[in-house]
Amino acid sequence: MADSNNRGEVVFEDVTRAVKTRKTEEIILHHCSFVVESGKLTVLIGPSGCGKTTIINLVAGYETPDRGKVLIDGIPVTRPDWERLVVFQETALFPWLTCYDNVMFGPLATKVMTRQEAHEQAIKLLEKVGLGDFMEKYPIQLSGGMQRRAELARALINRPTIMLMDEPFRGLDAMTRELMQEYYLRLVEESHGTHLFVTSEIEEAIFLADKLIIMTNKPSRAKRVLDIDLPRPRKAEVLRSKRYLELKANTLEILHEEAVKASRASGKADINIEASIRK
Amino acid sequence: MSTSELNKSFHFWKQVRRKVVNWTTLRRIMSIVLFLMAWSILVQFTGHFQQIPKPLAVFHALFQLEPGVIFTEILRSFLRVLGGFLIGLLIGFPLGVAIGYSRIANYLFFPAVEMVRPIPPIAWIPLTVLFFIEIESQIVFLTFYGAFFPIVYNTMGGISEVDIRLPRAAMSFGINRMGMLWKIILPAAMPQIFTGMKVAIGITWLMVVAAEMIASKGGLGYWVWHHHTLMEYPMVILGMGIIGLCGALCSLGIDAVGNHFMKWRNIF
Repeated sequence: MADSNNRGEVVFEDVTRAVKTRKTEEIILHHCSFVVESGKLTVLIGPSGCGKTTIINLVAGYETPDRGKVLIDGIPVTRPDWERLVVFQETALFPWLTCYDNVMFGPLATKVMTRQEAHEQAIKLLEKVGLGDFMEKYPIQLSGGMQRRAELARALINRPTIMLMDEPFRGLDAMTRELMQEYYLRLVEESHGTHLFVTSEIEEAIFLADKLIIMTNKPSRAKRVLDIDLPRPRKAEVLRSKRYLELKANTLEILHEEAVKASRASGKADINIEASIRK
Repeated sequence: MSTSELNKSFHFWKQVRRKVVNWTTLRRIMSIVLFLMAWSILVQFTGHFQQIPKPLAVFHALFQLEPGVIFTEILRSFLRVLGGFLIGLLIGFPLGVAIGYSRIANYLFFPAVEMVRPIPPIAWIPLTVLFFIEIESQIVFLTFYGAFFPIVYNTMGGISEVDIRLPRAAMSFGINRMGMLWKIILPAAMPQIFTGMKVAIGITWLMVVAAEMIASKGGLGYWVWHHHTLMEYPMVILGMGIIGLCGALCSLGIDAVGNHFMKWRNIF
């Protein structure tokens, strides 16, 4: 997929987005600008509740900005499109379809490839994510990690220009999570599409990212962009390298400022980040 | 008998003991026995209820049934229930889909539906005479009416409560509006649609019995009422039992159809 190397650039230009209830208006994003480079894996990290999901929804086209622009390759986002696919926090597999039929859903809806081609792709992908023996199972019969893997396959078969990952591995146990990260990296390193990955876990963020965007508290904007220059293909050993530890310390420091601000503002600290700092 | 055969038969009885003659089964049987006992004792020892036949009398009545007669009545009621239910499904289901799926349809139909719904279906009996001249049509109309609202309501509710992430995901995959309805919304709403149908068939039986009791045009309701006028109360109770059985059968039928369409729900 050489052509997607120079496609799928996401630009946030001075984006403001507020959530209105009947009486109040809460500003989630405030003059937020950043660039997600094409063909790279960009990770967004920030205190919980800082509007990361809103950013995903904006890129996906589920929401529109109140002010500013969300541009993809220079064109403003107006509605959802199968070139931008989201993998959600909780599983959103269609429970009435088997694993295989879930993966086949996208190609059959868009008809960008023939049924035969889609079938071959589906089988290849399902085997790659370790679900070769579970193709005829329904989502209810799969474990949490398997469901997430099926979802990855379901999204990737469409060869999206941009993959949006909204804390996809949250709620999985530590072992499964590590496994998922490795599966994911293998798929990403082969596909070369643009990936935007949202998480609140620092280890995960640095392990996966080419670029790390650190968000401020609500009303949030991009606080800092870090280049993660760890070698690829990335293996778990990287977690013990000196460079990794440097990057982690650096990130923690930036996040810590935000966590402190958050705890002053709301009286409760972001547990995730506080806990990581103590380690 | 050889040893192996003996062993086999021993094993068989062990299985029977484990699966059939266990405490759970016994307790279930006990529940029914206790009910029948309570019934007998109440009738025996309270002056008030002495007119009511005992379980044994009802059991005897079973053998006095004329199969030809009773099966005709069962068939009549069944056809009316089926007719009313199917018409209810034919009209109620699309209406429910429209109200649940389209905002315009919701504004157009929902207030009217909401206004008429609280009227108990039986209250419509006097008015049906004006709608239809034929008694058969009147009865089928009433059964239809009983089925209509539960189907509309549950279809509508099922659709409006679909998890937003499913249509969103489907939208990302480039599905069109028709595909969204057929491939996402309806399958996702299916469980509640079937719940609606089960409620509907229950009310359909209620309506058919009430209508038949008034109309004297045959059917199980009429049959029960007829024996009531003859003061043959064992037959009345037997008729009640048959009506209950038919209702349960219909409910099971809908469950079977539902399980066929929703294999994904009960596989583990």
